[in-house]
This record gives sequence, structure tokens and C-alpha cells, in this order.
Amino acid sequence: MAKGMFVDTSICTGCKACQVACKEWNELPGEPSHFHNVPDRPYPVAFNFTGNSYDNTGQLSATDWRHVRFIEQFNESRTEARWFFSSDSCKHCKDAGCLNACPVKAIVRTDMGNVNVQQDVCIGCKYCIPSCPYGVISFSEQTGTVHKCTLCNDRIHNGLGTACAKACPTGSISFGEVEELKKNADKRLAQLKGLGFLKANIYGYSEAGGLNVFYLFMDDPAVYGQPINPVVPQRRLFRSAAITVVTAIAIAAAAIMSFRERGMQKNKEVKP
Amino acid sequence: MSPESQAPQWEWYYIAMYFYIGGISAGAYFIGSLLELLKKEKLREISRTAYLTAFPLICITPVLLIADLGQPMRFWHLFFYTKDGMPYMNLTSPLSVGTWALLIYSGMSFLSFLNALSEEGRLTSGALKKFHALFNRVPHKVYAAAGSFFGFFVAGYTGVLVNTTARPLWEATDPLFGPIFVASAASTGAAATALTMAWRKSVAQDAFAQLERFDRMVMVIELALIVAMIVVAGRYAVPLLTGMFGVMFLGGTVLLGVLVPLWLNWRRAASGSANDGMAMLAAVLVLFGGLLLRISLVQAGQL
Repeated sequence: MAKGMFVDTSICTGCKACQVACKEWNELPGEPSHFHNVPDRPYPVAFNFTGNSYDNTGQLSATDWRHVRFIEQFNESRTEARWFFSSDSCKHCKDAGCLNACPVKAIVRTDMGNVNVQQDVCIGCKYCIPSCPYGVISFSEQTGTVHKCTLCNDRIHNGLGTACAKACPTGSISFGEVEELKKNADKRLAQLKGLGFLKANIYGYSEAGGLNVFYLFMDDPAVYGQPINPVVPQRRLFRSAAITVVTAIAIAAAAIMSFRERGMQKNKEVKP
Repeated sequence: MSPESQAPQWEWYYIAMYFYIGGISAGAYFIGSLLELLKKEKLREISRTAYLTAFPLICITPVLLIADLGQPMRFWHLFFYTKDGMPYMNLTSPLSVGTWALLIYSGMSFLSFLNALSEEGRLTSGALKKFHALFNRVPHKVYAAAGSFFGFFVAGYTGVLVNTTARPLWEATDPLFGPIFVASAASTGAAATALTMAWRKSVAQDAFAQLERFDRMVMVIELALIVAMIVVAGRYAVPLLTGMFGVMFLGGTVLLGVLVPLWLNWRRAASGSANDGMAMLAAVLVLFGGLLLRISLVQAGQL
């Protein structure tokens, strides 16, 4: 029943229509101006461009819920090059680290499987931020709360697809039932392997318990800036807590020993 | 490991400071309650001093925690889910469970604080006297036991909280922050109690020797845990061992905060000398090292 997205990076052209559509539909404010007046210069100076290919937003943030990554690779002699694009967003994990970490139930999962932040509940404790293995959820100083992709919660609950998928001119981003999307992804992967792209792989079937937004990559996930073997942090919670309890017991035992034995010695000294 | 994960940008003067102060309070309370539970009448003085130290310290911590929030006025959402008004706790979130533990621990340490004041005849406020009389019917040991359980919780959950994230240093050091924070809480709690006793000029020599003995054992445990942590973290320990945090952690925490006090402590025990200055120096160094431990572990993970 869960809805999700399949991002086929092999046919992405890096046009950023998805990034624009996301901003427009979700009414996300622009970044601080990319040009800046600097003393001693009569003209405005670009100050927060990344200088990395065509990428000027750099990463996902509280106001950038989609980010098209540009990966330029050259061989040693710079005679050959390849250019990868990959449109990234929240993965709406089936076992979501941010949701598990939220102490106030601000982050919830809807009946369609997408993970949302309830803006009126979030207290801005920021604990969800390091709990996301993909660095998706981000804090906004303006609202004092965290923000991320909602999988266009309002659109999908009214029979529409996500804004980014709607705007994508090549069909690189497709929205639908996760199980249906997986069938398409498997077909496409088999086709690419048949064409000799042996490094092609699907990212998000088994990673961190499965992702509702998953990707077809042409090379190792690390090339696309995705963590290899991400772990849902809370799966380590029990072990971490248990070992802390064992230490606490050891320290309590040390305390009993140091206070009790000495007391007994004192008694012995007193007796004779 | 997830190099892609984002840092929460927690300020050291709020979060690391809370970990530190909460730890001292819980450590002091644990010493106080243990002596009460062991029926150490002779050591009643240490026990009282520990209680008198624990409560004022824990009063500082909510201020630090609330000040760090993006929406400070919504701090009560930690206790009640706003959509249905029911009490709320998320068992998979150490932050949620820890908040409740902190609340219970604060209550227990307040009751023990009132007991200590009343024993010393310093409980003068009428309202507080009535309140104390109300709870005095409950055996003191009940809340001493509950308080030290939740005190350990407050000291340790902070380490578990930081370890169960995706930041590379914090993930690589899992599960050792919790144990290190608990050990550091016990040793800084003992140091704070010793200093408070000196400040109140109530030093009984034998009582002091026992506190030092406990501190010595805990520091050895802490040192072993720190070594284990560095080994477990491997190459992910680089942000902790280099640069400013490297100086803080290796120089401040390990050398000045553990090794030097341990050596001073041992020398005093071996020579049987009654050099109180040396003991005070050791206590100050332990407190200093504990602060740098929290700052370096929490801030280096956010680099």
C-alpha cells in the first residue's frame, strides 16, 4: 500500500525541474541571495556558490527538499569524462531514524507510508538531524523547527503524484505504489545490465530496512554521495543501553566495596 | 557509517554542559544514597553533603535544555502529545525516556535535599516544612533507591543518546559513550562532594579516604573505557585525537583529568599523608577533565 518514488538516475539530465517544482508547490523560500555587496568592490560578488559543477545549493536543507547532485569524473589524462546526475530527497524509510528519535511525536507516518513533520508539534530539539543516515532532515532558524520532503503529502492524499515526478521531463522520477515501482526498476536494471552496464545497481531495497524512495545508480552508491550500508541508529539502542547498565552495576559494586570494606577494617581496629 | 549525516549543531554551552552538570549531580546523589542505603551512620556527613550538592546542580539543567530548543516555549510537548493531550513517551528515543527520568530524578533529589536540610536544622520555611512533613512518612530509603536508579539513568542515557545516531564518530564509538559518561559522572560527583565538604569545613579524615578510594577505582574503569573507545573507533577517532578537540581530550581529559588525579590520589594513599591541598587539587582536576570530556566528545562528533 505504501506510496513512494523510483529515481532512475541513468536517464536524469540534470535540468533541476524537480527542484523548482518542489520549491513552487511547497512554497519554500529561496536561498539567501547568491550575490552579495562586498566593501571595496563596486559590483555584487557571488559568495555562496559551491563551485562544484552546476550545483549551487550543495545539499538538502530546510528550504531545499530536493537536490540534484552533479558528479563530474575524469580519467588521469583528462581525455575521457563522464557526468552523472542524481536527484536526491528524503527516502521515507520504512524504519525511519528521524521518526524513531523524535521525543514529541512531531514526526509521524501517514496511511500512505510517507514520513511527515508536524510543524505545530516540533520543539526544535534537533535530535532527528544526526539520526538520519542520509543527512536529509534539517533545522530552520526562521521557524525553530525541522523541515524535510513530505512526499507532497497534500497532493498524494488528493489523488495526485508528487510535484517533482510530475515536472520531470524524462521520467527519471516516477511516483506510485512501491511494489509497482520495484517491478519497473527490476526491468530497467536487467535492461542496463544486458547493455553492458555491469555496475548498475538499485539502492534502497535492503538499505536500512528498505526505502520507499529508491534509486537506480550507474556506479557505487558512494559515487552519488549515499552512505554504503546505512544503519537505522535505533537498531543499536538495546546493545548500547545494556552495556551502559552493566557499567553502572560495576560502578555501584566498586562503591559498595570501597565504602563497606573500609568500614569493616575500622570495626576490627576498634575491637582490640 | 554515514559521512552524509548532518550535525545537529548543538552548542557546547547548552548540551555538553547539561551532560556535565547532570552527571555531577547524579554521581553525587548516587554516593549520598548508597551511604544511606548501607546504613553508614559514621559517613552520614558525606551523604548529607552529597544530597545538598545534587539538587541545586540539577536545577540548572532544565534551563540549559530549554534554551537549546528551537521553540523553547514548547518544551512541555516532551511530556504531553499536543494532539490528544495524553502523556507521551517514545521508547525508541533516549531523549524522550531520558526527559522522564530527569523529571523523576529531580523529584527524588529534591526530597533528599529537604531531608538533609531538616537533619541539619536548616529547614526554616514554613511551606517547605509542611511539604517535608508530608513526604517524611515515606521511608527515606525508598526514594534514595529510586533516586539513585534514575540518577544513573540521567548520567548514562546522554551517552546512549549521542551514540545511537548516524554521525561517524558517534556511530563508531557505540556503545561506549554511555559507560564513559556513567564513570565520569561517578568520579566528578565524588570530586564535587569532596570539594563541597572542604568548603563547608567538615572534613573527617577517614570519610575522605573512602571517597578517594572510590574515586580511584572509578578513574581506573574510566581510563580502561576510554582506551577501549579509541581502539573501537579506529580511524573514525581522528576528529577526537587531532586539532583543538585532540588537545582538549588527550591533554585535558585523559592527562589532567584522569592520569594526574589518579597519580596524586595513589601517592596520597601510599604515603598515608594528610595533604589536603593535594586532594583538593585532584578533585578540581577531575571536575575540569569531566567538562572537557563532554565538550570534546559531543563537539568533535559534530565536525
